[in-house]
Amino acid sequence: MRPKASRLLPVGVAAMLATLVAVFYYPVGSVLSSAIYAGGRLTVDPLVAVLGDPFYTGAAHSLVTDPASVPGGVVGWIDAGMPRVEFGLFGFTAYQALLSTVVSVAVGLPGAYLLARFEFPGRAFLRSVTILPFVMPSILVAVGFLAMFGYTGVVNDLLGLVGLGPLELVGTLKVIILAHAFYNAPLVTRLVTAAWESVDTRRVETARTLGASPLQAFRDVTLPQLVPAVLTSAVLTFIFTFMSFPIVLALGGLELATVEVWLFSRVQNLALAEAATLGAIETALSLGLIYVYLRFEATQISAHGEGRTRARTPLFVGWRSLVDPRRVGLLAYSLVAGVLFVGPLASLVIESLTTPDGAFTLDYYAFLIAQQASAAVGTVQPLAAITNSLLFGVGALLLALPMGVLVSVVATRESRGSRLAEALLTAPLAVSGIVLGLGMLRTLVFGTTAFGHRLTITGPVVIVAVHAVAAYPFVTRNVTPALSGIDDRLVDAARSLGASRSTALVDIELPLIVPALVAGAAFAFAISIGEFDSTVLLAEGVDSATMPVALERYTANRSLGPNLGPATAMGTVLLAVTIVSFVFIDRAGRRWER
Amino acid sequence: MKRRTFLTHGAGSVAGLSALAGCIGETEDSGQTLTVAAYSSFTGEDTAGNWLKSAFESENPETTVEFQTTETGVNEFIQRRSEDAPIDADLFVGLNTGELVQADEQLDDSLFAATDDEVDGSGAVKPDLDFDPDGRVVPYDTGYISLVYDEGEVAEPATFDSLLDPEYEDGLIAQNAQQSDPGRAFLLWTINEKGPDGYLDYWSELADNGVQILSDWGTAYEAYQDEEAPMVVSYSTDQVYYNGEGVDTSRHQVGFLNDQGYANPEGMAQFVDADNPELAREFMSFMLTEEAQAEIATRNVQFPAVEGVDPGGEFSEFALEPPEAVTYSYDELVGNVSGWIDEWARQIVSN
Repeated sequence: MRPKASRLLPVGVAAMLATLVAVFYYPVGSVLSSAIYAGGRLTVDPLVAVLGDPFYTGAAHSLVTDPASVPGGVVGWIDAGMPRVEFGLFGFTAYQALLSTVVSVAVGLPGAYLLARFEFPGRAFLRSVTILPFVMPSILVAVGFLAMFGYTGVVNDLLGLVGLGPLELVGTLKVIILAHAFYNAPLVTRLVTAAWESVDTRRVETARTLGASPLQAFRDVTLPQLVPAVLTSAVLTFIFTFMSFPIVLALGGLELATVEVWLFSRVQNLALAEAATLGAIETALSLGLIYVYLRFEATQISAHGEGRTRARTPLFVGWRSLVDPRRVGLLAYSLVAGVLFVGPLASLVIESLTTPDGAFTLDYYAFLIAQQASAAVGTVQPLAAITNSLLFGVGALLLALPMGVLVSVVATRESRGSRLAEALLTAPLAVSGIVLGLGMLRTLVFGTTAFGHRLTITGPVVIVAVHAVAAYPFVTRNVTPALSGIDDRLVDAARSLGASRSTALVDIELPLIVPALVAGAAFAFAISIGEFDSTVLLAEGVDSATMPVALERYTANRSLGPNLGPATAMGTVLLAVTIVSFVFIDRAGRRWER
Repeated sequence: MKRRTFLTHGAGSVAGLSALAGCIGETEDSGQTLTVAAYSSFTGEDTAGNWLKSAFESENPETTVEFQTTETGVNEFIQRRSEDAPIDADLFVGLNTGELVQADEQLDDSLFAATDDEVDGSGAVKPDLDFDPDGRVVPYDTGYISLVYDEGEVAEPATFDSLLDPEYEDGLIAQNAQQSDPGRAFLLWTINEKGPDGYLDYWSELADNGVQILSDWGTAYEAYQDEEAPMVVSYSTDQVYYNGEGVDTSRHQVGFLNDQGYANPEGMAQFVDADNPELAREFMSFMLTEEAQAEIATRNVQFPAVEGVDPGGEFSEFALEPPEAVTYSYDELVGNVSGWIDEWARQIVSN
């Protein structure tokens, strides 16, 4: 029936590896290699220099510089009553990432509960736009956060009304953690909602008929299926916030610098070996964490067949809504979420319509129209940027879906090393964005000489490939749990009836994981729309500029005075385009599901 | 391909300028292309770059000016040079002293050619702006770093020491010297004032008094506009943007600490391996003409580098020059600047 299907898998894997090598492993390797390779030989000097520097590792530096002193040091520390120990830049970075993860999960979980278990007007829309924060450029998040959480911001105005405050948040660790929650809690919500919705109602019902209380049924049936999603999102959040960069300096300031901030300054100084070493350590830590997690995940997933989704409870049940503790809790949560998520985004829209003195203006939108009408060299036109963003987004989505599914297929094979293979194939999540950008500059953009010609690899096709590489791990993270949850007997039955492995994948397994695919597709699209660092390097001139690139250019434009007005207007356009796209992806996905 | 279309359009918008430039009317060899490397904000609608392109092309009808913009500025060319990757540009526009020092420290051979004597008009550049002892970089404009403050909130800060007073507690927003031009200039200014042995102590007191160090000028200024603090490190041209009716000028007062401002001249230089060295030098001369100097000043909102140029208009009315300009010379920065910044940043982070 499908004679070629059996060859689909290996060909796909080969094509994917080739893409990965070209736009990921080669550029990244060219940078990271200088962490362990200098003057033509292997060396541990850069590593020792970093790990042995108290600035980077604090008290742990003696592990490298003077290991013999460590036992004595520990004894002395215990004798001294175990005072607080500093672990340097790495210690602080991990500390803030841990706090950010806890807060993101705490904020994200109730959202998943609300979206997965309750029905209310606008639920589908809300669910579609949960990953909106993902695409927001940090400069705009900074603008929104200042307007919302700043000294004279909305939150302090509200607190002032009830005689509280003002809160000084900007410049403190608190605002960074809030901003990290803004970016990452939606990730938690999104992943956990998808898992929650795929819980088979029949299994819950069976548990109930066997005498389990609702709580017991939740604990024994639902929870085990949520744990992998919660942990996946927690691990991803930790990695992202560990490597957090622009938002830290924009809202917190240099006192709260992370490793990535320092890595960037090393690149600025062209201290590339030190930068590479920092990047290599970050990557090793992230990959290690991913690997440990994947080992755990593999033990967690329980098989399920094609299930029925549980019916949602109405959120509003008349006046009883006000006495039901669950509903009251959720309403309180909605207020908090409104301040944290809607607040900064709404502030951004308001900023795009107000002058620095607070008067209403349409100048910033007139600016966008003027840019559109301009034929001047070097002008980034908004419409072209929107078109490029959408095209690249669709391209990245189409490329990232098969890539992500392939990795999931590899990962769910119970063969030796498949966990390790998936961890390595998840590397695009674990590599510093600055290292990747630097690597691309030095390899793809600078080019290599072959047959007397200088070959450079840039332009739209490469941008799409790079976006897809950044995005497919998200597809995988959505798909793997769904795929490994499929009852093996279904596949075995298909195989025994003569279907090849690829045919079974396409005909049996894919239709069962459509919700996960749609979730992955939305992530892929979001990653592509929001990507800036690589896009700006690989775009040839202004012709391949995307919305974030346009926005960055307008930030530097001072024709309307030194303010970010034009950027906020472009940011509002970015928001609008993204909302429409997400709603469309979800709608299209649901139709496909039926 | 697309570039061609752009150029035709570009030429149209320049028609009015050819009359101005017509008097010189020098013709180049046919079909030359000058490639100018610059920061991305140098080109685009209404920028100094686009004005220069149009005016230069109408003066030299056979010449096409193309811009090559980089996100990382001159760093990209330093890396290209050390990787033996080709440099297609003829000249670089937008180089400051610190960046030149870094380029020279990183590379064995200079990235730029000595052209000083061959660029007409370079003799008229203000001598204290001339920052390259080897005569490669020719300054074309300068900014002065100063404070901008809200006189409704605080009195004018008179000296560096006054910033340590309780009156100015939590009062100042500065920028990260590792990645921001004004941030770096302000740091160098404090080193100039307190000395290489004293500036770290000064900054530790400044930190105790609540200075906030944000990533770059844009976020710092945004935070200032949102009233996070009553003072921000910025440029002395602030009132060019904020003047006239309906503007609260009390929030846009320029403060010159010690009656000084830190000069941050920007220069241009021809790449050593330029394909069109003569054309590059002609373009550099062109940037030093009175008319170009006035246009650059107005469009970049920076002061002209050439003696005696008056940009006129709002610029001349509202741009403030410090009573005394201070700056570090190339020789003073060589071997020092990255160490100074590193130690400063390490102290701030470890605090």
